Amino acid sequence: MNNARPVTIVMVEDDEGHARLIEKNIRRAGVANEIVAFTNGTDALNYLLGGDGSGLVNKGRQLLVLLDLNLPDMTGIDILEKVKGNEHTRRSPVVVLTTTDDQREIQRCYDLGANVYITKPVDYDGFANAIKQLGLFFSVMQIPETE
Amino acid sequence: MPITSKTFVRSTALLLLVGLLALLAIVGTNVWLVERSQGYFNEISEGRRARVAAISLRSLLQDMETSQRGYIITQDENYLGPYNDSEPQVEEQLEALEAILAPFPTVTDSVVQLREDVLFKLNEMARTVEMVREGNGTGAVERIRTDAGKEAMDRIRSFLSALLSGIDQRLAEGDQNQRDTLTMMRWVSIIGGIVILLVVAGAMWAVLSYTQELARARREVEDANANLEARVKERTADLGKANEEIQRFAYIVTHDLRAPLVNIMGFTAELETSVDDVKTFMERQEVGEDDPVAAQARTAATTDLPEAISFIRAATRKMDGLINAILKISREGRRRLNPEPVDLAELAEATAASVHHQVSESQGEIVTDIRVGKLVTDKMSIEQILGNMLDNAIKYQEPSRSLRIAIRARHVPGNRVVIEIEDNGRGIADADHERVFELFRRSGTQSKPGEGIGLAHVRTMVRSLGGDVTLTSKLGQGTTFIINLPRDARSYLGSFGA
Repeated sequence: MNNARPVTIVMVEDDEGHARLIEKNIRRAGVANEIVAFTNGTDALNYLLGGDGSGLVNKGRQLLVLLDLNLPDMTGIDILEKVKGNEHTRRSPVVVLTTTDDQREIQRCYDLGANVYITKPVDYDGFANAIKQLGLFFSVMQIPETE
Repeated sequence: MPITSKTFVRSTALLLLVGLLALLAIVGTNVWLVERSQGYFNEISEGRRARVAAISLRSLLQDMETSQRGYIITQDENYLGPYNDSEPQVEEQLEALEAILAPFPTVTDSVVQLREDVLFKLNEMARTVEMVREGNGTGAVERIRTDAGKEAMDRIRSFLSALLSGIDQRLAEGDQNQRDTLTMMRWVSIIGGIVILLVVAGAMWAVLSYTQELARARREVEDANANLEARVKERTADLGKANEEIQRFAYIVTHDLRAPLVNIMGFTAELETSVDDVKTFMERQEVGEDDPVAAQARTAATTDLPEAISFIRAATRKMDGLINAILKISREGRRRLNPEPVDLAELAEATAASVHHQVSESQGEIVTDIRVGKLVTDKMSIEQILGNMLDNAIKYQEPSRSLRIAIRARHVPGNRVVIEIEDNGRGIADADHERVFELFRRSGTQSKPGEGIGLAHVRTMVRSLGGDVTLTSKLGQGTTFIINLPRDARSYLGSFGA
């Protein structure tokens, strides 16, 4: 993520504690990018696609979406569908990070274009470890610009 | 009118009894009437014979008299023909008549008189014929003129006439009686027939109405049965739904509980890191004796905070374990079972082999005695059940003796299979036989780590395969777990819509 334009990590996570822990552990992996956190789907969509929903607002930026499926106002799948259905944001990588390990849910997410699906480990140590590794992965990823 | 089985039996029995009585009456009267008619018949035929004998005797005597007289008048031997012909027959007819009349004591005297008269007459006729032959015709006529012969002949004649008229009367009476008997027989037959017809009609009515009653009752039972089946199906569906709901509920609850727990654990970890930093700093810091606040802060950072954090960590770890246990069971309940042919013997051997090193450590052994063929069931469940059982047996073995585990399986009626896992471990107290199957409950000395979910999990799995698990145990001697499974789990799973 050492491109000229810095990559923004958009984190959609309704549990603020989780959000903070995710952020801390990503930082521990040496990722220093800006993290924009949202606790509900509406705000996240507003940011991602803009008020008009066209997605033009993010033209030329590099976005990486970290998505929880359990949100108070909608499911993460709705957001995934809209992001991947929008011509401007469809190439932005989406990492689904959630508690569900239901096979059908996982299949559905990949069908809709999710790039990575990670189940939050049950215990904290595993959780922290997974996030750190995810952070390490982020640090070597190439993110395309939105068009 | 509905007929209950009691009244049906009673009325049928009564009708049959009436019919039987009528039949008996008909047969009885008929036998009696036939007997009677036989008597009349005998009497009639006897009368006829008596009649024949009497008439023959009379005509024989008359023929002889006529012939005798002709001879006396004409002195011509030709006229003696009938006399000579008849004479030898007289005795015969007389004896026949005597024989017939012998049973009637009222006429005995008359019969004796008849014989005397006949003999007298014969004698007289023989004498006169003799006299004519000797040429003494006048003497013969003289002899006849004494009228003794005529009187004897008159007596004979009048007796025979009386006898004949008596016999005729008797014959007429006999005829009448015979006719009466026949009439009576006809009436008895008609009345008896009517009674039997009535009885049969009554019995038929009873049988028909009872059969209708039965058919109606059967229809009702069938209806009730169909209803019941529908209700059972409904209830089963409800139960399945409720079960599903509970599992969903457990799943959601554990999920939702886990999210804040991850926070607690995460921030406890963060706190620990921070406290470590503070602790390192505090330990390096020189604290003056006269500064109580600094001393307190130092104690807090070096002792109190790490202690509190360690307790929080222990508690959250335990809670995490419990939640994971519930999650595991609820996930197991949600897992789609996949019935397939499972070779139990192979599976038991494999499971035994997987714990072989643990068992051989204590010079123990596992024997398997599987007397069933392939089951159709969920292989993974059976593996987990057997694995759990063996783990428990190893975990709770009695250290003073080497471990012996036996896995046995056999068929039982009802297309089911019983698997027994017997160990010689420390056993389970009577009071805990049911408790050990409950979630988070453990029995005996808590000397081994564990959360108390193994047997609860086993029971859940066995039940979801349509079976049940129980145990028999003697404290200090060992435990036998008895798993009862359907041979083909598909029927059970099918009926549950799973």
